[in-house]
Amino acid sequence: MVLLLQVLVSGVLLGGLYALMALGLALVWGVLNIVNLSHGALIMLGAYATWFLYTGAHIDPFAALPIAAASLFALGYIIQRGILNLVIRGPMFNTLLITFGIEVILTYLAQLWFSADFRTINPSYAGSNHALGGLTVPYVQALAFAIDSVLTTAMWMFLLRTRTGRGIRAASQNLVAARLYGVDPKRIYALTFGLGAALAGVAGGLYGTVSQINPYIGGPLTAKSFVIAIIGGLDNPLGVIAGGLFLGVVESLTALYVGPTYRDVASFGMLVLILIARPGGLLGRTA
Amino acid sequence: MKRAGAAQRLPEPPEGEPGARGAATRAARRTALALAVAALAALPWIGNTVLVQFGISVLLLATLAQGWNIIGGYTGYPSFGNSVFYGLGAYGVAIAMVQYELPFWVGMLLGLGLGVAFAGLLGLAVLRLKGHHFAICTLGLALVMTAIVSNLEIAGGNIGLVLPLLRSEVLFYELALGLAVLATLTVLWLSRSRFGLGLIAIRENEEGAAVMGVNTTFYKVIAFMLSAAFTALAGGIYAYHITYIDPVGVFDVVLNVKMIIMAVFGGPGSVLGPVVGALILSATAEVLAARLTGAASLFFGIVIVVAVVFMPRGIAHLVRHIGPAGWRYFIDNVRTHRL
Repeated sequence: MVLLLQVLVSGVLLGGLYALMALGLALVWGVLNIVNLSHGALIMLGAYATWFLYTGAHIDPFAALPIAAASLFALGYIIQRGILNLVIRGPMFNTLLITFGIEVILTYLAQLWFSADFRTINPSYAGSNHALGGLTVPYVQALAFAIDSVLTTAMWMFLLRTRTGRGIRAASQNLVAARLYGVDPKRIYALTFGLGAALAGVAGGLYGTVSQINPYIGGPLTAKSFVIAIIGGLDNPLGVIAGGLFLGVVESLTALYVGPTYRDVASFGMLVLILIARPGGLLGRTA
Repeated sequence: MKRAGAAQRLPEPPEGEPGARGAATRAARRTALALAVAALAALPWIGNTVLVQFGISVLLLATLAQGWNIIGGYTGYPSFGNSVFYGLGAYGVAIAMVQYELPFWVGMLLGLGLGVAFAGLLGLAVLRLKGHHFAICTLGLALVMTAIVSNLEIAGGNIGLVLPLLRSEVLFYELALGLAVLATLTVLWLSRSRFGLGLIAIRENEEGAAVMGVNTTFYKVIAFMLSAAFTALAGGIYAYHITYIDPVGVFDVVLNVKMIIMAVFGGPGSVLGPVVGALILSATAEVLAARLTGAASLFFGIVIVVAVVFMPRGIAHLVRHIGPAGWRYFIDNVRTHRL
């Protein structure tokens, strides 16, 4: 019983991180209709940014997150403005291909500059945890979970309440009408992609505190983010959170009861089944 | 938001010079192609081992790109699951030869059967999805299959299987050439037949095609199975040639992306485009890998980005339409697709 509860707790904590990873992907997908295959590479760069700030400048990894987010925002803004805006009206698989090309380039540069070695972000408090009636809750993961919840809520509020957020939603619903109301699509698209990249940056920094990083972590993380976005639907950030938690718990349970090597069978199998049964996502609208 | 893509990918009007001159050019073109294939078949007796090795890899990639062309280029369903067929073909050969000590051709049949059956069964479910959803669902299938095969004892689990060694580059080369020619002839048939036109109709407007009497489900599943057949056979040849396979290597999603890039770079929905795309991209990658070790993948990424921006409809379209416009062809492409 305690074991099951413990697995559930780790699953939820892992799921919080998953949700944050998927949030940026879902935002870009929902608004720009671009399935960003370089999303995982952006997460990887966020992790390296945090790692450098921690080992090079001795900045606490959690304090480094805003810096990582800001630099990834700038990178994302430039990628959208400089490259993706040029092809966004082309056939669908062109945007898939071009983001894959960007992924290859980013991964190569990361391997060139940061080497292929495994890195970890290991602050002094990394191993400490809180005992809660027989359950252990690692501080780092709990803090990561809290940051994720705050960011997701903030993201939702931003989309609902601010002028720019409304511009983003308008552009995703009807670009022509949005233009007539004074939305500048070039700027809004670049902002949206930048925001998606910034979220990936934060997720990467947090990922680095709980797991090892190397230049090749991007691909699998992109795939996981897809699964979550598909489960949660693209309609609102809360769906993505639910999707992340669900996937985290399912993976932890599978690892315990079936075997760790079946984790990916569970998560990607779920993706296929959900897509076939409910193409709009488990929680979102049906197509 | 409606994408402008659909209208621009209408099939090219037949370039028909009327009358006898048209027939003469067609005959000349056919002779030229036959000569080219004959020259390629003679390559092992002219070139050196390095060239033959390179030829095998290019011909297999050309077959894969052509296989993807059937489902992605003609039917308009961007499959990320073709690497599954490749893996099934490779494992068909490996399991037959290693676990049951059967001859190579039985393994090829096993792999072919597995791939085609898988495509038929899953196609029924998966081909109901469209666009991104289809792409991601097939990607999910590829990842599931990697994970499942890593857990199968008969497939050697995580470690993979080691096949018996056969040192006959010429045999592998000729097999790969035969398969690539067969795939290209099939696509040529698609471009002229009623079945192929049905697929193009599905790509351009699926509801419209259904209204016009195309049995869309049947057409799509058959196209998926055809695509799977060539991909599985290529996987089988690869497995026997390379003599060692493991799940991550043959169910590789990156290989699937390569098929797409080669087909799209060459011209999706054209007959020779995917073959030319495979040749040009492999040759450049090979030369670069020799000249600047390590930077090949960077170059690969840059080629993809530049090609998608400046020639989004591939080499086949470029060759036909660059004409008098010259470099303005590239600028016009950017103009039509940018925000």
